[in-house]
Amino acid sequence: MPLYELGLVLDNDLETEEREAFLGEVKQLLQQGGATVVKEDVWGKRNLAYEINHKREGYYVFWQFEGPGSVIKPLEYRLRLSDQVLRYLSLNLDRELRRARKMDKRRAERKAKAPKPAPETAAIAGEGA
Amino acid sequence: MSKKKYYVKRKKVCKFTAEGIDYIDYKDVDLLRQYTPVSGKILPRRVSGTNPIYQRKLTRAIKRARLMALLPYVGD
Repeated sequence: MPLYELGLVLDNDLETEEREAFLGEVKQLLQQGGATVVKEDVWGKRNLAYEINHKREGYYVFWQFEGPGSVIKPLEYRLRLSDQVLRYLSLNLDRELRRARKMDKRRAERKAKAPKPAPETAAIAGEGA
Repeated sequence: MSKKKYYVKRKKVCKFTAEGIDYIDYKDVDLLRQYTPVSGKILPRRVSGTNPIYQRKLTRAIKRARLMALLPYVGD
């Protein structure tokens, strides 16, 4: 199952309990769809780069979750309907990170394959300097 | 060299190629700010020296950050 990332900008004027209740609801929605939240990254209060609905501050929450793609549709539907959510963005992180992982792998392979040339190039660079 | 040269051209380097940054995260506001002047525009490749592959990724990241109100659409 792919890894997704969900970014939320919530209304900062809300009470803490209200926000927690909403986040809990969203999480429940994810769990119902068979997804599990892997990582939570809460930025909290932050100034918005521009006004949204006459508001200057937002509450930023980022989640990473693993689950079937079928959870996205009801999730975004729920977020769209809510007045608390100023902005949301869901990304398929597996797709986003595909190239990064490939490059990491290639670098690791290159390192494992040729450990010898490294000191040589370092020596040449040292001479040049 | 010739006298016509008034300044020494500094070699432009692609930060992402040089440092091996493969994924440009839209949440990395400090990084994206380096490529958006106060006006909020995206710095062109000819100015920043970014490689085409990374320029496209950078553009996408900046646009995502704008959507999430991390970066302004229009600056000062």
